[in-house]
Amino acid sequence: MHEASIALSLIDVASEVLRENGGARASALTVRVGAWSSVVPEALTAAFPACAQGTPLEGARLSVVLVPGVGECPTHGPVTLDVRRGLRCPACGAPTPTLLQGDELELDEIELAEPELEDS
Amino acid sequence: MTTTQAPRIVTVRQNILKANDHTAAGNRAAFRAAGVRAINLASSPGAGKTALLERTLRDLAGSVRMGVAVGDLATENDAARLRQWGSQAEQIVTGTVCHLDADMVQNILPRFDLDALDVLFLENVGNLVCPSSYDLGEAARAVLISTTEGEDKPLKYPTMFNTADVVVITKMDIADAVGFDRDLCRENIDRARPGVPVIELSSRSGAGLDEWFAFVRGESV
Ligand SMILES: [Zn+2]
Repeated sequence: MHEASIALSLIDVASEVLRENGGARASALTVRVGAWSSVVPEALTAAFPACAQGTPLEGARLSVVLVPGVGECPTHGPVTLDVRRGLRCPACGAPTPTLLQGDELELDEIELAEPELEDS
Repeated sequence: MTTTQAPRIVTVRQNILKANDHTAAGNRAAFRAAGVRAINLASSPGAGKTALLERTLRDLAGSVRMGVAVGDLATENDAARLRQWGSQAEQIVTGTVCHLDADMVQNILPRFDLDALDVLFLENVGNLVCPSSYDLGEAARAVLISTTEGEDKPLKYPTMFNTADVVVITKMDIADAVGFDRDLCRENIDRARPGVPVIELSSRSGAGLDEWFAFVRGESV
């Protein structure tokens, strides 16, 4: 499983976004994972909390949005694909060699946490 | 006391592996500048990657200048096996990581004299899931499947097959003995990656190797 590696890369990208936006911490983040990305959403959500410890993402809620594969059928136009059937139009079986969507692995958005004032 | 404000949501839409892709682009530029064809080899464990590499290093020694960077979880057996054919083979110890990434390749490149090579094989860790996400900077990606694996592998590992430039079916010499359904396997490969070239070969008998060697040299398959 490489979801721990993916989680670490996600934390790097998210930390950079936080710095650019002047946020100290994130409270939540949303990731888009394509059905053809080879990443298992459950494994990513399971790996994330441990990987985030000691980083600005510690404690942040991770939501994973699964993006289905969409191909372009010459007859039926954009069609939603079934990963178990491969790149074939579900209606007519024509090859749909190019994925219009479904291979993404991207950080979609981050919710910045408000800084907490510490009791002194 | 804290003041409560509406949370700020930042839309990012960035590839999580952009750092890897950036390093891979650097590797690709280095290969191109030196005229090296880098080939990323991926397969399940036991699909015959090392056997095919050994045969390739043996048969093409003298006509193609080859090197190998081989990713392995711990031991150095594969690199030692490969060196006996006279080509440089370097181990990339990946530790607990189950795939090569572009940084690992970048870090091992100084051990090679790229100007003295025509082809550099990047033998990935035996795994059809994780390596598919990581561009190494290769010119071409070859995915191997052996006749002893299930014919449905291409549909179980869609990303790996969908990113292949060529699919190699290995161990064809025992296809009949293991009841390999060639037509079904080829149909599933074509479903996973419509139109991808498929090479059937046996590293033991030598059948089909000419097609593979043409791919290695960068000639059309
Ligand atoms: Zn159709």
